[in-house]
Amino acid sequence: MPAAPTILERPQRWDASFDPGMTEEGVERVLATAPFSRMNAERFPKRTPLREILRNDTRISKFRQGEIIVRQGDYGTSAFLVLRGAVRVVLKPHLAPSLLGRQATKKKGIFRTLAQLWNGSRPAEFLSRRQLGRNTGLGTRQDAEAVRIVLQDVPRILDRNRTEQMTAGEFFGEIAALSRMARTSTIFADSDDAELLEIRWQGLRDLMKYDDALRAHINQIYRERALASYLRATPLLQHLDEARLEMVAGAVEFATFGDYDWSGEYKRLAQAGNVRPEKEPVILGEGDYPNGVVLVRAGFARVSQKIGGGERTLNYLGAGQVFGLDEIAHNWRSKDRPVNNQYSLRAIGYTHLLIVPTQVMEAVVLPSLPASELPPLIQRPEGDFDIDAPAASAREKVGAETLEFLTENRFFNGTATMVIDLDRCTRCDDCVRACASTHDNNPRFLRHGPSAGRLLIANACMHCADPVCMIGCPTGAIHRESFAGQVVINPATCIGCKSCFNNCPYDAIRMVEARDERGELLVDQEMKPITKATKCDLCVENRGGPACERACPHGALTRMNLNQIDALAKWLKP
Amino acid sequence: MNRFRRQILAGCLGLTAATAGALWLHLSYRARPDYAFLSGWVLLAGMFVLALYNVRKKLPFLPLGKSETWLQIHIYLGFFTTFLFLFHLNFRLPRGLFEITLAGLFVLVSGSGFLGLFFSRVLPRRLATRGGEAIFEKIPAQRHALRMEAETLALGRDANSPVIAEFYVKRLAVFLAGPRNFWPHLMESCRPVGGLLAELADLRRVATEGDRERIDQLARLVRQKDGLDYQRALQLTLRLWLFVHIPLTYGLMIFTVLHIVLVYAFSGGAQ
Repeated sequence: MPAAPTILERPQRWDASFDPGMTEEGVERVLATAPFSRMNAERFPKRTPLREILRNDTRISKFRQGEIIVRQGDYGTSAFLVLRGAVRVVLKPHLAPSLLGRQATKKKGIFRTLAQLWNGSRPAEFLSRRQLGRNTGLGTRQDAEAVRIVLQDVPRILDRNRTEQMTAGEFFGEIAALSRMARTSTIFADSDDAELLEIRWQGLRDLMKYDDALRAHINQIYRERALASYLRATPLLQHLDEARLEMVAGAVEFATFGDYDWSGEYKRLAQAGNVRPEKEPVILGEGDYPNGVVLVRAGFARVSQKIGGGERTLNYLGAGQVFGLDEIAHNWRSKDRPVNNQYSLRAIGYTHLLIVPTQVMEAVVLPSLPASELPPLIQRPEGDFDIDAPAASAREKVGAETLEFLTENRFFNGTATMVIDLDRCTRCDDCVRACASTHDNNPRFLRHGPSAGRLLIANACMHCADPVCMIGCPTGAIHRESFAGQVVINPATCIGCKSCFNNCPYDAIRMVEARDERGELLVDQEMKPITKATKCDLCVENRGGPACERACPHGALTRMNLNQIDALAKWLKP
Repeated sequence: MNRFRRQILAGCLGLTAATAGALWLHLSYRARPDYAFLSGWVLLAGMFVLALYNVRKKLPFLPLGKSETWLQIHIYLGFFTTFLFLFHLNFRLPRGLFEITLAGLFVLVSGSGFLGLFFSRVLPRRLATRGGEAIFEKIPAQRHALRMEAETLALGRDANSPVIAEFYVKRLAVFLAGPRNFWPHLMESCRPVGGLLAELADLRRVATEGDRERIDQLARLVRQKDGLDYQRALQLTLRLWLFVHIPLTYGLMIFTVLHIVLVYAFSGGAQ
C-alpha cells in the first residue's frame, strides 16, 4: 500500500515578509503618507491589497547622520522613500572606494611581486593586520537589524563633493531596483533622525502596476535620468536626430520579467535537474503578432523555437541586444506578406526590457535606417522548421549540445568565465598552482565543474554581467573594481555573513577561516572563527592578467565572455 | 585554420629553416679546428633556454609571458638542439664512458621530452571520453567509496547470497582494492574489465531474482572503478614522464658543465 502523501500548506507569496517586525501602526503611518495616502486601494486586486503590500514588501529603517544608505556601484533590490529627516546624494566627484568599504586596488609593485617567492610558505588564509584594517576612514555600526557603514568625515565630503539633499516625500533607488542596474550614486543619511521606507522590488512592481500616478512618476524619472542616454547609445537608433529620438523615448515601454532573486530558485531547480525553457516566463510568443522591437536593457533572454513537444534554444540575448526587428522590418517592407514572431523570447532569471512599439518603429526608426542596415526579408514560410534560420547561427557556431549546456547552466552571465578545453587539458594543475602562488598559497578556484563535450566550466568566479552575489552585501565588501569590471572582495570589510556565498548560483565563492601568521585561527570575543568570503579576483593586483590563463602550457584554459558566442566558437574551432 | 594549426605550421617552417641553416653552417665550417667549441657553445645556449622554461613555470606571478608561448619555443628549440647535438657530434658515435654517459643523458632527456609531447597531445582527448572528470588526488578516496559500497552489497548485513559473497572475495575484492590494469588502459584495451563483467554476467544467469539486482549494481560499480583506473593510468602517465625529463635535465646540466671543464682542461691548445 503506498504511503500517505505529506500534506503541507501551499507556499504563498508573503510567507517570508520583507520585515516580520512591520507593525499595524507602521502600515497605518505609511498609508497616511503621500503618495500612499493618494492611492486608490480599490484598484488593487483582492490577492494583493495595498495594505498587505505595505505590510509585507516594505520596512521602515532609521539611519543616523553619516550612515550610508546606498553605495554607488552596488546592486540593490529596493527603492526608498524618505519619511522623515533628510538624506544626501553625492553627485560629483564620487566618493573614494575606501570610504565606501572597498579596496582601492593597486597593481603590485616589483617588490610585492617578488615577495610572492617566499609568501607561498605562509599559512593558508593568513590575513595580516594591514589587510584586516586597511580602511582607516571607515566606521561600522551594528544594531539588531544590520551592519551599517558610517562615513567618518561628512563635513569634508560636503566640502569636496557636489551633493544634493533629499527630504521627506522624495523617492530614490527605484531605477536600480527595477532595472537591476548598479546604483549610480552614493546616498547617506544627512540627519540623525532620518527615517526611510524601503520597498522591495516586488512591492514596487505591484504598486506601479495598480497605481497610475506612481507608475507615471517613476517612468518619468526613468525617462529623465536614464533613458535618453541609453537610447542614444543604441546602434539601432543612431541615425535618429534629437527630435526623433525624443519621440522614441516618449513612446518606449518598460517591462520586467522573471524573478529578481532568481539565483535561489535556479539553484533549487538545477539541483533537481529541472531547468527547462518551458518553465521560463514568455516575453514574446512564437506565432504572436510582433508588437514591438525589444531592447534588452539588463539580464538575459532565451530565443527558442517550438520543436515537437518542447523548445530548442537558438540563441541567448544579453544587455544591448535586440529581438523582433526582423519581423517588423519585413512587415514594413512587405505589407502583403506579413509574418508573425518567428521565435519565442523567454526571460532567463530576471530581464529588464525596453519595447519600441511597432507603430513608432514603422513611423520613425525604420525610415531612418540605411537599406544596408535593414535585415533581409524573411523568406521561409511561417512555422516551417528551418535549421538555416538566421537566429540558428549561434547554434551552428558552437553546436546544439554546447549551446543548451551554456544556456541551462546560465553561463552566458559570465564576462570572464574560466573555460577549459578538455581535449587539450593534460590535468597538470599548473593553473591551480599559478593561482595559489599569486594569492599567497591560496588557490581561488577548483579545476572542476560542469562539463559538456570537450568544454569544462571550472568553479571560478565568472565576474558576471548580472552579479547576484553583490545583492545584499551589508558592508559593500564585494564590489566591482570599476564599472563593468572585475567583482572583488575586500577582506578588511567582509564580515563573513555568507550573503554572497549563498547568492552565487555557480558555487564560485568559498567561505574560509582566517588565520594569523602562526596558522592559528583568528577568533572573535566569543571565540568563534572569523570567516571571510574568497573567490577569484582575476589577478586584479597582478601585472600580466590572470595567472591561471598565462600558466596553461597547452592553451587549454581561457577566461572568456560567454555572452559573445563568436569568441567561444573561434576558440573552439577545430 | 585554427590557432593551433597556425602555430604548428609556423613552428615547423621555422624549425626547417633553422635546421637547414645550421646544416649549411655545419657543412661549411666543420673542418675548422674550433668548430667543436663553437657548436658546443651554441648547443649549450640552446639547452640553457630550454631549461629556463622550468624557471618560468616556477614564477607564474611574474609577467613573463604565456606559458603556452614558452612551451612552443621549448618544443621547437628542443627539436633544433637535437639536430645541433648531432652536428656537434659530427654524426659520429660518442667514445669513452664520460662521453657515452653525456650523450645518453641527452638522448634520454630529448626522448622523454618527445614522449611527453606525444602524451600531452594524445591522452587528453582520451581522458575526456571515459571515466568522467576525476581529479587525480581524489581518485583514491573515490575508489575507497566504491569499494565500501561493493563490500556492503556483497558482504553487508542485508546480503545473503553465498555465491555473490564468494565471487566478491575471490575476484572483486582484489580488483577494487587498488589501481588495476595500468598497461591495458594505456593501450586502450578493455579486455580485463570485459572479462570481469562477463563473469558477473555468468553469475547473473544462475542467480535468483533478488540477487540479480545486486549483481547489476556490482557490475555498475565495476564499470565505475574501471573508469577511475582509466583516468588514473592516463593522468599518471601525463605526470610520470616529467619525473624522468626534469631530474635527467639536472643530471645533463651537471655533466655538461663537467664536459666543458674537461674540454678546456685537456684541449691542450687545440683551439
